Formats: sequence, C-alpha cells, structure tokens
Amino acid sequence: MIRRIPTALALVALAGFILLPLAQTILLSFTATLPHDGVTEGEISLINYRNIFASPALVDSLRNSLVYVLLNVALCLIAGLPAAYAFARYRFVGDRHFLFLMLAFRVTPPVVLSLPIFILFAQFGLVNSPVGIALVHCLFNLPIAIWILESFIAAVPREFDETAFLDGHSLPGFFLRHLIPAIAPGIGVAAFFCFVFSWVEVVFARILTVTDGKPITMAINALFTFQTDFGLVMAMTIFSLLPGLAMIWFVRNHIARGFVIRT
Amino acid sequence: MKPQDNRAWLLLLPASALMAFVGLVPLVTVLNFSFHDIFMLDSMHWVGAEWYESIITSPAFHASLARSLLFSALALGVQLPLGIAVALMLLRAGRLGRLMLLLVAVPLVVPWNMIPIMWLSLVNPDTGLAGQAMRALGIAFDYKFTAWHTWALLVVMDTWHWLGLVVILAYAGLSGIPPAYHQAAAIDGASRWQRFRFIELPRIMGALFIVILLRFVDSFMIYTEAFAINAGGPNGATTFLSLALGEEIKGFSYGSAAAHAMVYFLIVVAVVRVFVTATDQRKRSAERGMA
Repeated sequence: MIRRIPTALALVALAGFILLPLAQTILLSFTATLPHDGVTEGEISLINYRNIFASPALVDSLRNSLVYVLLNVALCLIAGLPAAYAFARYRFVGDRHFLFLMLAFRVTPPVVLSLPIFILFAQFGLVNSPVGIALVHCLFNLPIAIWILESFIAAVPREFDETAFLDGHSLPGFFLRHLIPAIAPGIGVAAFFCFVFSWVEVVFARILTVTDGKPITMAINALFTFQTDFGLVMAMTIFSLLPGLAMIWFVRNHIARGFVIRT
Repeated sequence: MKPQDNRAWLLLLPASALMAFVGLVPLVTVLNFSFHDIFMLDSMHWVGAEWYESIITSPAFHASLARSLLFSALALGVQLPLGIAVALMLLRAGRLGRLMLLLVAVPLVVPWNMIPIMWLSLVNPDTGLAGQAMRALGIAFDYKFTAWHTWALLVVMDTWHWLGLVVILAYAGLSGIPPAYHQAAAIDGASRWQRFRFIELPRIMGALFIVILLRFVDSFMIYTEAFAINAGGPNGATTFLSLALGEEIKGFSYGSAAAHAMVYFLIVVAVVRVFVTATDQRKRSAERGMA
C-alpha cells in the first residue's frame, strides 16, 4: 500500500506534463487575443471559433485536409492490401529487398526529397491540389500499411484462402468478400496510422501548396503576420486535433499492433 | 513454410508503381543533381564528386552532424527509459493506466508545426502558464539567446511529442507477459532489476527496436519543430543537419543541397541496415534458443 502514493504522484505528474500545453492551447483558443467587434482583448469568448467559420480560407483548409488525408488512406489501403497479401502468403525473388526498400523510404527525411518531388509534381500538374499531397504521403504511409496488413493477414490460417478458392472465388472476389471482413481490425489500424502520419506531416504539405489547396497546417502558418491573432491560431489548432482524437478512441484496443517490424 | 511463387510480384504492382513515382524517381533525381552545378534547372553542368568532397571536409557539416547526433542521443536517452518506466507504471495502474495510455497518445496526433506554436505560447513569460510560473519563481528562461535553454526546450518538447510512442509499444509488449512468469520469479527471490532484465526486457526488445529506429531517424532529421523554435539559433547552436539543408535549398544552391540530401540519405539507410541485421540476428538466436 505504501507504494501507491509515489505511483499516484507520478501519474499526476505525467498527466500534468501531457495536459499542460493542451490546457494552454484550449485557454488561448477561448480568449480574444486581439480586439474584435464588441469583444475586448483578454476577454473569454467564442469569437475565435466564430472567426474560423467567417474565413473562407480556413473553412477551405479544413476541407482540403480531409480530402487529401482520406484520399491518402484509400490509396495506401488499395495498393497495400494486395502487396501485404503477397508478403504474408508467398516467398518470391527480391521479397526481402523490396521490404528493405520500403523501410528505407519510410525513414527517408522528407526534406531530402522535397526539391525533386516539387519539380516532378509541377510537371504533372499536381502542385496546389490535395491529390499531390495524398500521393506524396504514400512514401511513408504505404510501407506502414503493408507492415500492418501483413501481420494481420499472416494471423489468418492459409486454409481460409484455400477453402474460398475451392468455392470458386476469384482473387478479387476473395479479397472483397472474405479477406477484408476477416481482417477488419487490421484495416482499421492501418487506416489509423496512415491517417495520423498524413494529418501531422508538414514538409511536403508546405512545398506542394504554394498558392492553393492549403491544408489546415499551412492555413495556420499563413495566420502569422506582424500582428498575429493567437487565439484564432489556437482555435484552429484545437480543430486540427479533433479527427486525431476521434481516431485514437476508435482504435484504442488495437493501437499497438501497428509496429511489428517486417524485414 | 510459405510457398515460393514469383507471380506474387503481380500483387506488388500497384505498390511498386506508387513507390517508384514518389520515392525512386525523386531519389534518382537527387542523385543526378548532386553531381551537377545548378544555377537554373535548364543549365546544369557536371562537377563529379566536388560537392561531396566539400561537404565531407566542411567544418560546418561536422558541427551540424555532431549537433544532430547529440540531439538524437539526448532524445533517445530521455525518452526510452522514461517511456519504459511509464509503461511499467501504467501496467500496475489497471483501468486508470489504460486511460492514461490514450492520454499519452494525444501529442502524437498534433500536426508538427503546431507543436512549437503550443510550446512557445506555454513558455511565453507574459501570457504562458509555464512562462509566468518560471518568472514568478525567478527563473530567467531565455530560449532565444541562451543556447542550453533552447536545447532544453527542444528536448522537453520532443519528449512531450514522442513519449507516447515509446509508452504504447512498451506497454503492448509488457502486457503480454503471463503472470506465471512473475510468480516464478518471486518464488526464486528475483530482485526488481532481475525481473526487468530477464523477464520484461526480452519481451519488449522487438518493439523497442522499431521505436529506437523511428525515434533515431526522426530526431536526427528534426526540422519543423527546431526551425520554428529558434531557426537554428542562438548563433547556430541548434543548426541541425536538416536546418542546414533547408538553408541550401532556400539559397537556390540545388547541386550542393542535393549532395547534402544524399549524404543524409546514406547515413539514414546505413543505420537502417544495421538495425535490420541486428533484428535478424536476434530472431535467429531466439529460434536457436527455442530449438
């Protein structure tokens, strides 16, 4: 019983450490940091949240972010599922090299590839559009999707596939009707990690949105001027957190499955 | 044993096409740029390995490499033991521990450019909670002009950001240990350290490998957060590798920037190679141990 007290203190300290910057952000988001119509500086109000919806650029950025992230998750799952199936079920020439290459791309710092990506994407008209960001984020998300899906597929016994094929299912039919339902939690976990890593990334998102198509992160950067409305910045930051918080809640029971390294 | 079938490559086609477009082509482009002097993109001329020579012999490169290595060492040195300790603690805390696990995951979903914004407003001496507290306590915290204060802020902020990753993975590994192991250890009179060393640590080694790898590459190449905090200052004291590279790109020195990028890429890939080899050896010795 004596051990309970230090543990409780440590838990409180940990919670305080994690919550402090969040508390600061929430506090400022409800404070008018610049004088607005009818609200004096320093007053507690909802003015910042109202100002978000009064600004077309900020509303557009919310939409842009959701579009590119959902597109990225879809791309990673569609390309990742067959690849993960291949790795879970077969050996083939170059399989280990391919996985090593995936790991290398996963850890390549975005700043290393940012210049050629910009040049390449400009030639294909992919700059200033959410499609460009969705594509480039596959660089680090597709390897993750493949690792996670592979570990979930490998846990399904091989007889499961064989029975379906004996029943006359084609490979696409087997994927849609049998495999995907069987590994639904794995699809959820893969989608979670792709969503989160794509949502928080800023280096590629910055270089690919020069004038248009800006996601939330870049819309917030654009708010910094010689007289920055920090309350508005913080209100946007809170908004940028909400999808991630929802995702954490959805995958809370499976969250740790995502990091089984495959080489 | 899985059957050998090279037709499996057909299933890899969509993934390969995507990775070729966003990974391989840009990488080959960087490699090509790194051997050229480029002022405008339509007028490049071949300079061979000149950029590489000047990088390898440049004191500025050595200094920022040392800073990046030091930062990675600090980040790992703080976050790894702390994360494992927190995971052990949360495991004992039962239901409350599972809720805390969700809380420590929250910083992971904060967009990276918001993290320095949040921390700078937190330590602001006029309006920030921590800043006001430090001023009241008489601590003169000055991250703008005192180098070690900038470093401290970066390490604390990075720990806030990434502690959750270490905790979640260590927690997952630890929660799979059957209670019988601990009971047997108690009967044998094992100390707390022995139980950690011989029961708990082996269970989380696999997860720790990937944590160390991800944490190493991300801290080694820290950019967004470090740039926003003090743009490499004061006086270049936090100019890490990626910040130096950012300067080159902004200065339109594409050939030199590409050579820098290749050097970083090679460092990162070499580290990954070492990790993969170590993981394989661990797996093989584990298999031998079971046989």
